[in-house]
Amino acid sequence: MDPSFDDVWAECEDLFVQARQTLASMKEAQPAHVAQASVNNLFRTTHTLKGMAGMLGFPHFSRAAHRLEDIFDLMRKGRLRSTDSLVETLEAGMLALESGLAGLRRGRPEPEDYLHDLRRPLGELEALARPAEGGTQDLTSMLDLPADLLKSLSEYERTRVTALLVSGMPIQGVTVCLPYATFDERLRSFSEVLGRQGELISTLPLDAPEGRNGLSFLLMAACPALDPASLGALDDELLGTALLADPSRLPTSLRQEEPLVTIAEPAPEASAPAPANLPAGPTQEVEIIRLPAHRLEALEARLMEVGQLRDAASLLLKQAQGASGERPASLLAQMEDGLLEVQKSLLQMRMVKVDSLFKRIEPMVKSLSRDMGKPVKLTFQGGDLELERSLLGRLSEPFLHLVRNALDHGVEAPSERLAHGKSEVGSLRISASQRGRNLRFDIRDDGRGFDLERIEARGIQLGILRAGQTHSPERLHRLTLEPGFTTQDRVSQISGRGVGMDVVRSEIEAQGGEIHLSSEAKRGSLIRLSIPLSRAVVSCLKVRCAGQSFGIPLGSVIRVQAGKQALFGGDQVDVLGLSLPMESLQACLGLPEPRGQRAFVVLGQQAAAARSVQVALGVDEILGRGEVLLRSLPELAHSAGIMGGSAQAEGILWVVDPEAMLGLAMNSLMRRVARA
Amino acid sequence: MDLLLATSDLREVVAPTPVSDLPGRPRGIQGVMIYQGEFLPVLAWGDLPGCEATPGLPVAMAVLRPRLALPIERLIGMISPASDAWQEADEGDARDAWLGGVCQAGDLPLPLVDPDRLIALLQRLRGDR
Repeated sequence: MDPSFDDVWAECEDLFVQARQTLASMKEAQPAHVAQASVNNLFRTTHTLKGMAGMLGFPHFSRAAHRLEDIFDLMRKGRLRSTDSLVETLEAGMLALESGLAGLRRGRPEPEDYLHDLRRPLGELEALARPAEGGTQDLTSMLDLPADLLKSLSEYERTRVTALLVSGMPIQGVTVCLPYATFDERLRSFSEVLGRQGELISTLPLDAPEGRNGLSFLLMAACPALDPASLGALDDELLGTALLADPSRLPTSLRQEEPLVTIAEPAPEASAPAPANLPAGPTQEVEIIRLPAHRLEALEARLMEVGQLRDAASLLLKQAQGASGERPASLLAQMEDGLLEVQKSLLQMRMVKVDSLFKRIEPMVKSLSRDMGKPVKLTFQGGDLELERSLLGRLSEPFLHLVRNALDHGVEAPSERLAHGKSEVGSLRISASQRGRNLRFDIRDDGRGFDLERIEARGIQLGILRAGQTHSPERLHRLTLEPGFTTQDRVSQISGRGVGMDVVRSEIEAQGGEIHLSSEAKRGSLIRLSIPLSRAVVSCLKVRCAGQSFGIPLGSVIRVQAGKQALFGGDQVDVLGLSLPMESLQACLGLPEPRGQRAFVVLGQQAAAARSVQVALGVDEILGRGEVLLRSLPELAHSAGIMGGSAQAEGILWVVDPEAMLGLAMNSLMRRVARA
Repeated sequence: MDLLLATSDLREVVAPTPVSDLPGRPRGIQGVMIYQGEFLPVLAWGDLPGCEATPGLPVAMAVLRPRLALPIERLIGMISPASDAWQEADEGDARDAWLGGVCQAGDLPLPLVDPDRLIALLQRLRGDR
């Protein structure tokens, strides 16, 4: 891929993010002028995407973007009503383009028709917007303007004037004469004020009044009423205002009960005063600074070096300090806090909310659910968690595929569900949770589950499995992740989408993650994805063992308790009336056994039921709690029970992997029993 | 033991940095050091076949391209051996698992570290654990 186009790719990605936000905002209640601004934004976005795709050499993409651009054009001209269903179709269309773009960037061939899956709803929309026999209506003749000005109106301006008058909105005119030196700035100011009060339709140049130097303009806007004082005109700008067209003069037959653009908007009251503080636009402008990731990495590395200097200074201070050492030590502690804050801020720059991923899924589920005739209740959990921005792009497509599969193959049709005594509406739950440095995604549906018999038969037919042998459900589930493994139905369902379950697995594994499938016949399926984050901020209980510091993620700490006497691995300890086995952290990690410990941490499975495995983990000393910046260990240094480390003033603090630690503790306890 | 490291296999040679012990460390890895803001595994020479651990602090760390640090006792210099100076390691040499050949520099046979074989060996050692 030509690196000189990196900025173009990145800009395309930004445009998709903005488009997603704008489309999402269109499902909320919005004043008409804000809704119109949203549609105009989307029209411009698709137009830009079309041009950029042409620049990158992807004609099919360009054609698909053009098709969506046409739909937005129809909307902005008032020929298509904005409804939730329309917005969802457009969301699905934008998503198809976005996924296609991600594929192109990874070198995949360009699909013939990006919008193939949406051909039916898009065709219906286009048919709906087609002008009726006899041409389109034009009410611009109602404008109180000279003929030459009327002639200069564009098609878009004509359709907007018509649509707005039909919807009962007056058209107002503002004339100003502005000095040459500042006209652009002043004109922008007038446009913004009018844009806030209503919909700015057009800015037309006028001849300057005789004897005046400067440029004159007519700003045409649709708003219930105009307050000249609110425009902020200067004394010498010759401000004039006029009602250009009054919708009450429209024949009754042409008046509309409700506005053409119906984006959950409260009906405007004609007599109401002009709203003074309407929202400025569909989305708040946020300045986005783009910078190459390596610059951020260099800054992080430098910060780490500064941290090392701080550690060295701390060590020297400890060696040299006397009675006057408190003040420098306190300064170092402040420096450490500051460093952690800067590191967290840097980390946040790389992160996006999981909600961004969910937002990509939601429109597709709604659209598929409608097309397939399978009503589904979709719920998300954990959208506030964060993942690395780079992961977001890589996970989107596998995620979409899994969700598509769940709807297509998992959730049954309403009649089948009713026959099985289930609710007519299916359930699809997608949750995210942080497990140490791993982000876990669970995709659960309450459908028919995997057809294991069929998978087994297909496995035997393909020669992957042997007939007559028993194959565990786990093995059969995993078989669906094998390259080339498909059932006949899957071939027809997945064709044209360019991705199969094996590709999902390889994409997840390429991120160092894991995928696990399970299901129960007629009860549903669970697909669990575990993705490691290269770094994360983790809240830990800090402990000391064998002279080293360890952090135990707080999510897995059930209780911290001091023993009445020295405790040893293999002892039973009493915790709130429960007798729990105790094992030392040292024994779990293969370090020399301690000579008795007086504190222990009750470790349990995160978010598990009360009956889940719990172990008392003996430690030498409890140091307290705190947030640490966790960095993963390179593969060569992977150590059982350790998920990563964090540089601290007193050296590396090793963060334990609670689930692995539970396993290590149980193994160690069993070895003790076997030795006894 | 005197060894050769191909300059093409080196990222850089850095001043010795404290090595943090890794609890439950895998065989072949002594611990980690911080390099460019990330953890870098440090080789435990003593775990390699045909090699003995040497006491004392290293004078430098050679950072290989595959992101592995080798503690170095002394830096001898650089040579550009002729193509005919190379030979296979002796049959039965335990170091064969991590060497890429031996260079005859005058009277001195200098074994060459092969990073690819070394990494493969470390992965095998992990698996054996």
